[in-house]
Amino acid sequence: MTDAAAADRPARDAAAAAARLRRRRRLDARLRAAGIASLLFAAGMLAILVGSLISTGAPAFTQTHVTLEFDVSAKRVKPEDPARGAYRAIVADAIGALFPEVTDRREKRELVKIVSNGAQYMLRDAVVADPSLIGSRVRMAVPVSDPYDQLAKGLVRRDDPEDRRRLSDAEIARFDKLVELGLISRPFNKALFLNADSRFPELAGLNGALWGSFYALLVCFLVSFPAGIAAGVYLEEFAPRNRLTDLIEVNINNLAAVPSVVFGLLALAVFLGWFGMPRSAPYVGGLTLALMTLPTIIIATRAALKAVPPSIREAALGIGASRHQVVFDHVLPLAMPGILTGTIIGLAQALGETAPLLLIGMNAFITAAPDGISDPATALPTQIFIWADSPERGFVSRTSAAILVLLGFLLTMNAAAIYLRKRFERKW
Amino acid sequence: MILPRLQDAADNAEVKVSARNVNVFYGQTHAIKDVSLDIADKSVTAFIGPSGCGKSTFLRCINRMNDTIEGCRVTGTLLLDGEDIYAPAVDPVQLRARVGMVFQKPNPFPKSIYDNVAYGPRIHGLAAGKAELDAIVEEALRKAALWNEVKDRLDAPGTGLSGGQQQRLCIARAIATQPEVLLMDEPCSALDPIATAQIEELIEELREGFSVVIVTHSMQQAARVSQKTAFFHMGTMVEYDDTTRIFTNPSDQRTQDYITGRFG
Amino acid sequence: MTGSDPKSAHIVSSYDEDLAALQARVAEMGGLAEAMLADAIEALRKRDVERCREVVARDKRLDELEAEIEARAIRIIALRAPVAFDLRLVVACMRMSSTLERVGDLAKNVAKRGIDLAAAGPLPMMGSIARMGEAARRQLSEALDAFVSRDSELALSVWRRDVEIDELYESLFREVVTYMMEDPRTITLGSHCMFIAKNLERVGDHATHVAELAYYVVEGEPLDGERPRGTASDAPTG
Repeated sequence: MTDAAAADRPARDAAAAAARLRRRRRLDARLRAAGIASLLFAAGMLAILVGSLISTGAPAFTQTHVTLEFDVSAKRVKPEDPARGAYRAIVADAIGALFPEVTDRREKRELVKIVSNGAQYMLRDAVVADPSLIGSRVRMAVPVSDPYDQLAKGLVRRDDPEDRRRLSDAEIARFDKLVELGLISRPFNKALFLNADSRFPELAGLNGALWGSFYALLVCFLVSFPAGIAAGVYLEEFAPRNRLTDLIEVNINNLAAVPSVVFGLLALAVFLGWFGMPRSAPYVGGLTLALMTLPTIIIATRAALKAVPPSIREAALGIGASRHQVVFDHVLPLAMPGILTGTIIGLAQALGETAPLLLIGMNAFITAAPDGISDPATALPTQIFIWADSPERGFVSRTSAAILVLLGFLLTMNAAAIYLRKRFERKW
Repeated sequence: MILPRLQDAADNAEVKVSARNVNVFYGQTHAIKDVSLDIADKSVTAFIGPSGCGKSTFLRCINRMNDTIEGCRVTGTLLLDGEDIYAPAVDPVQLRARVGMVFQKPNPFPKSIYDNVAYGPRIHGLAAGKAELDAIVEEALRKAALWNEVKDRLDAPGTGLSGGQQQRLCIARAIATQPEVLLMDEPCSALDPIATAQIEELIEELREGFSVVIVTHSMQQAARVSQKTAFFHMGTMVEYDDTTRIFTNPSDQRTQDYITGRFG
Repeated sequence: MTGSDPKSAHIVSSYDEDLAALQARVAEMGGLAEAMLADAIEALRKRDVERCREVVARDKRLDELEAEIEARAIRIIALRAPVAFDLRLVVACMRMSSTLERVGDLAKNVAKRGIDLAAAGPLPMMGSIARMGEAARRQLSEALDAFVSRDSELALSVWRRDVEIDELYESLFREVVTYMMEDPRTITLGSHCMFIAKNLERVGDHATHVAELAYYVVEGEPLDGERPRGTASDAPTG
C-alpha cells in the first residue's frame, strides 16, 4: 500500500527542493527584517518625540529664585489694611539695597525687572496671612523674571552679540553679582502645579487646567458611564433584533468615528445656544466629552457582554434565573473589567481632546483655578494650546512640560486599563 | 434458550412528562415533527440520534429553554405531572426550578463552589436563613457525590475544579433547587472516561429521586445508564422502547442502522 | 420484523471485513462438519477403514477453526462493541463454532466405531443407520443454509423436523435390540450400533440448535415454545 503510494508520487528533485527551501527561508527572513525595521522606526520616532519634549520641557520643572530681605515697614503697609500696601515699592527697595551704586531712576527701574512681577503679590499674600510681619524685615525667596530665569538655565547665551540677546551686558553683570552673593537658587517649580495661568511665564502654572480637566472628566464619566452601560446592556441583552435596533447600532458605530470638532460644534449650538449654558465651564466641557465618549463605552460594553460565554447565560437560565437576574447577577459582573477598560480608554481619549473644548471656550485666559464644575476653566490640552500660542520665551519649555504632564496622565490611565484587564482576565 | 426478554424496572413506573404531537419550528425550519412520548418518573430516559436530529431541541422543550431563542415556536402538548408546561399561566422561570438542566460543557459560574450551589435556592427563596442554605448546599453536594472532595474549600472558585468535578458541581447546582426532572444535554462529552464513569454512577443514584432525561452521542452511554431509549432522526422520533430492546433488537431499520454504525 | 440483515454497509468498512471473515470461518466449519458426517456414514456403510481414519484425522482442523472463531469474536466484541444485529451475529457465530465442533466430534466417534465394525462384515441394521445418518446430515445442512441465507422460515422448518430424527432413532433402537435378543453374539456389534445411533441423534439436536441460532440472528427473538418431540425420551440416553 505504501509502495503503491510512493510510486504514484512524482519524483522529487533534491536540488530544486533545496532551492525552494532557500527561497522560502529568504522570504521569511525578509519579512522578519521588514517587521523589525518598522518597529524600530516607530520606536525611534517615539524616542525623538519624548526626547525632545523632555529636553525642552525639563527646565520648566525648576524655577530660578532670588532671596531678598523685604523691609515691611508700617510706613508702607497700614496694619489696618495690609492688602493695600505699597508692596511694589518694598520690592524695589529690597533689590535696590543690594545695588547701592545704582542711583539713576531709569536704571533702578531696570533693576526691579530682575524680580518677577509676581513677587509683590507673594509678599502681599504673606503679609495678609500674617499681619504681625508688619514692621519687621521679611526674608523670602521670590521668582526672578523670565529673561533672568532663562539666563540662569543657560537658555540666554552669553556669547551672542549684545544686541541679539534679551539681556544687556550690564544686566548680566548684575545677575552675576546676585549669584556671587549666594542669593540665587533653583528649587523645584511648585508653581507649575500650584499656580493657575498667568501672563508671566515664571508665574504660570497648570493648576487651573488640572482642575478644569478633572471636573470635565468627572462630569464626562458620571454622564457617559451609566448611560453607556445602560445603552450597551439594553442593546445587547434586551433589545429585539429589528430594523430600528440595527439602525441604532450602525449609528453608534458611526458616531464613534465622527471627528471631535463636530461634537464641539454640536455642543456650541445645543448647550451654549439653546440651553444657554455658560462658556468655559468644565461641566459643559464634560457633557461635550461625554457625547464623544458615549459611543466608545457603548461599543466596549457590548463587546465585553458578547465576550461572556453563552454557557454562563444558559447555566443561569437553566436554574430558573429571570433575564434581568442573568444579566445583573452573572453577565454584567463578568463583563465589568472589559467595560471599565473600555471606559478608561474612552476617558483617556477625552482627556486629550482639544477641538471640542476650544469651541465651547475652554481656552480662555483664566488666572484662577475653578472652584466647581461651573467656574470658568481651561483643560490640560487647551492650556497647552494657549501656551504654545504665547510669544514669551518662557512658555516654550512650559508647553513641553505641560505636554509631559498630560502624557503622564494618559500613560497612567492606560496602565490602569491594562492592569484591570490582566487582573480580571478570566479563563472559562 | 438464548437471551430471554428482560423486564425493565421502568415498565411499571408512573409517567412524569408526557408529550403529544410536539412540533418545534425555528423560523422556517421544522426542527421537531410530531413527537409523542411518555417519560417515566424515577428512571433514566436517553435520547440518541445523529447530530441535528432534534434530540437536544426536544430536551430543551421540557424546561422551555427554547423560549430564549428568537423565532422558536413550539406546538403540541407537553405535560409535567399532567399540567401543561406551555400554558400561558406557567412562568418559565418557575418551571426551570422544577426541571433542572445540566449542559454539555461544565459551566460553573466563576464564583465560589458554595455560591454556585446556593444561587438557585437563593433566587427561588428556598432557604429561610444562612443555616438552612448551608444545609441545602451540603445536601446537593452530597447527592452530587462531590461533598467529600470540596467540603474543605467551599470558598474556592468553582472554575478551579477538574472537568469532572465541575460537571458534578453543575449537577449539584441543578439539584439544589429541588427539581423533579433533571435534563442532561450530553453531560459527559467533555470529560475523560473516569469522570464519565463517575457521572454515570451518579446518574444511576439520582434515578432514585428524579426523572432523568439524558441526551447523549455515546450509544454505549445510553445503553449503560438508561432504562428507556428514544431514537431521533431528522426531527422525528423513530423508536422509543426499553433500552435493552433498542440495543439487542430494535424494530426500526433506521434505529438498527444508526446503533450498529451503518448511517451513510 | 425489520431487524434482519442490514442492507447498507458499516461506515467503518473494516468492521464489515471483520464480520465477513468471522462468518466465512463459520461457513467453512459448517461445510467441514457436514462433509465429515457424510464421509463417516459413507465409510461406515462401505466398511472403508481408510476413509474412517481420514475422517478422524480431519477433526483437528475443526478444533483449530473453533479456536480461531472464538478469538475473532472476542476481538470484535472488545474492539467494535457490536449491538443489535451485529451483536446477535457475533454471539451466534461463537455458539455455532462450539456446536459444529461438537458435531465434528460426533462424526469422529461414528468413524472410530466404523473402524471396529468394518472387520465384522455386513450388518443387517446398517441400512437404517445410513438412513438416519442421512436425515441428520440433511437437517444440519439445511440449518446451515438457513443461517447463511438468513432464512428464518427454513430455520423454523428444520427446528420442527427434529422429531423425525427422534422417531428414526427410536425405531433403530428397537431394531438393534431385536437383533441382540435373537443372537447374543451380536451384542458387541449391536452396542456399537446403538452408540452410533445415539451420536447421530445428538447431531440432530445440534442441527436444531444451529436452526435456533439462525432464527435468533434474523428475528432477534429466541425460538420460544416447546419443540415437538418424538418418543425418544423413552429411549436410554447415552
